[in-house]
Amino acid sequence: MKRRRLLAAGCLCGLGVAPLLSRAQPLEETPAPEWRMPERFTRPDTATDEGGLWAMMDREETRLRRSPFAIRDTELQARVQDMACRLAGAHCPDVRVYLMRTPFFNASMAPNGMMQVWSGLMLRVDNEAQLAAVLGHEIGHYLARHSVERLRSAKNHSSAATVAAMFGVVGAIAQLGVMASFSGYSRDHEREADRIGLTLMRNAGYDPAEAAKIWQNLLLETQANPDSRTPNPLFGSHPAPEERMETLAKLAQANPGGVSKAAEWNQTVKPFLQGWLADEVKRGQREESLALLNRMIARSPNALYLYARGETYRLRAGEGDLDAAVADYLAAANAGGEPAETHRSLGTVYRARQQTPEAKTSFRRYLDLAPKAPDASMIKSYLEEMGT
Amino acid sequence: MTRLLLALLAFEVAGCAVVPKMEKVESGQQNVGARLELPLDGAWNHFQSAQIAPARVWTMEGLPVDELRVFAGVKSGEAIDAGAPEIAGTKKIQFRAGMHADEIVAMFEGLYTKGGSTFQLDKLEPWSFGGEKGFRFEFTFTRKVDGVVNLGVGYGAVSKGELYALLYFAPRLGFFPRNKDKVEEIARGARLKM
Repeated sequence: MKRRRLLAAGCLCGLGVAPLLSRAQPLEETPAPEWRMPERFTRPDTATDEGGLWAMMDREETRLRRSPFAIRDTELQARVQDMACRLAGAHCPDVRVYLMRTPFFNASMAPNGMMQVWSGLMLRVDNEAQLAAVLGHEIGHYLARHSVERLRSAKNHSSAATVAAMFGVVGAIAQLGVMASFSGYSRDHEREADRIGLTLMRNAGYDPAEAAKIWQNLLLETQANPDSRTPNPLFGSHPAPEERMETLAKLAQANPGGVSKAAEWNQTVKPFLQGWLADEVKRGQREESLALLNRMIARSPNALYLYARGETYRLRAGEGDLDAAVADYLAAANAGGEPAETHRSLGTVYRARQQTPEAKTSFRRYLDLAPKAPDASMIKSYLEEMGT
Repeated sequence: MTRLLLALLAFEVAGCAVVPKMEKVESGQQNVGARLELPLDGAWNHFQSAQIAPARVWTMEGLPVDELRVFAGVKSGEAIDAGAPEIAGTKKIQFRAGMHADEIVAMFEGLYTKGGSTFQLDKLEPWSFGGEKGFRFEFTFTRKVDGVVNLGVGYGAVSKGELYALLYFAPRLGFFPRNKDKVEEIARGARLKM
């Protein structure tokens, strides 16, 4: 059990939100030591404590590889693996990326080179450069061997690690702050990983200006949550992340250029969007989801985002929400390429409002689009009840 | 073993505090709440915890291997996860009397997927439950904490504005096929007193 606790704590040590959570100190205030990429790490002797840590991570990696939550898509896997490879430079052969279907903003990297990227992060990035910012930061921790230090120190915090492990596997964005407080890196480590990450981004040809934007977007979500007004684990004990974003933006300005690869990224993730958006809605964090979806719709008002926002409104069911939901469903249908469920949801709202003709039309449309839907016989029974 | 312990802990975090309060449930007719009567056969155990209110949980194989969750008389406006610990930014999942079958199933989906687990609806059909017009559904539930893929079946009806439902899941290999028919028998024999 102790091994598992330690292992779980270690898995969290590359927490993707850590850069946002750590104390924001202007990067330019710290000396900018000449950073050189270290030589590739060799596998430590199994008799050493680090060797033991690697062995644990190897076992965790086996579990990850077999996990039903692993996203097994050749194209997406190849793209993210390639990104990590270009960021890691000479360490490319040691970095192994695992894409996991988990609707929270997170990426992590273990000392043995195992990197996890969660679908909640991939959903949130606008382009490849933003994902590169997070991956670069995590690789920064790896290259600077921060993760080994964190694993070692976790030995002294096993009870906290147990809690962190539970939050890690059960997950919730509001709980990530708790995780970070247990497993986060020191401020010096964060500063160093930020610097390394930006350097890696530049070296790989990405626009470092995108680094600040991802944290800005995440902040919008968190601030939308009513609970963020009271001191919460995400921001309560940390200075304003705005300061950090400014610093990242300034650093990027000093070395402008590079690409963001928005079109390529959006094309690659297109087949997954509907599922990831459904997972996002199921998180039950309505305000955060609305902040995310509003941003996405402003960027690209496609039917999938509109349907997801409609669902979020319908499920929140506050004042005016059903009207907003119907407007989004109709806009999704108008945009074309909407999920069949758009019409089922429309039918549900119309039926609740006793707009029977509209409800019947919508349910029929749903059945036309998804005749083999698992709930088809139930929807047919609704139509019978309403009189065909 | 450690994974099982983690799953148990997750069960607790998900609002199902694991306390050593497990009681054998006698075979025969069991009254659940004021109106629901279920015919039980087999070695069921009742797991007691305020954190799973308003549901009650029975298990045949032991938690968290399999779980029969019983909702009996959930009133309109009442949360199906009322006893679960608060999660910042999330609201409790409230039942409303006007909900239709697909909305009720979506509500259960929300209950199971809180922590990143996945729920896939495999079938939803009209069904008579407790003598009332209701629904039956099948689902696949993959638990985040241990990656176990479970199959599940659920039954429900709204009677006099109150929700009555049974939800059972167990690992798809071995346990679910072994117990599915027993659960189906319970659901078929369910009666709602007027």
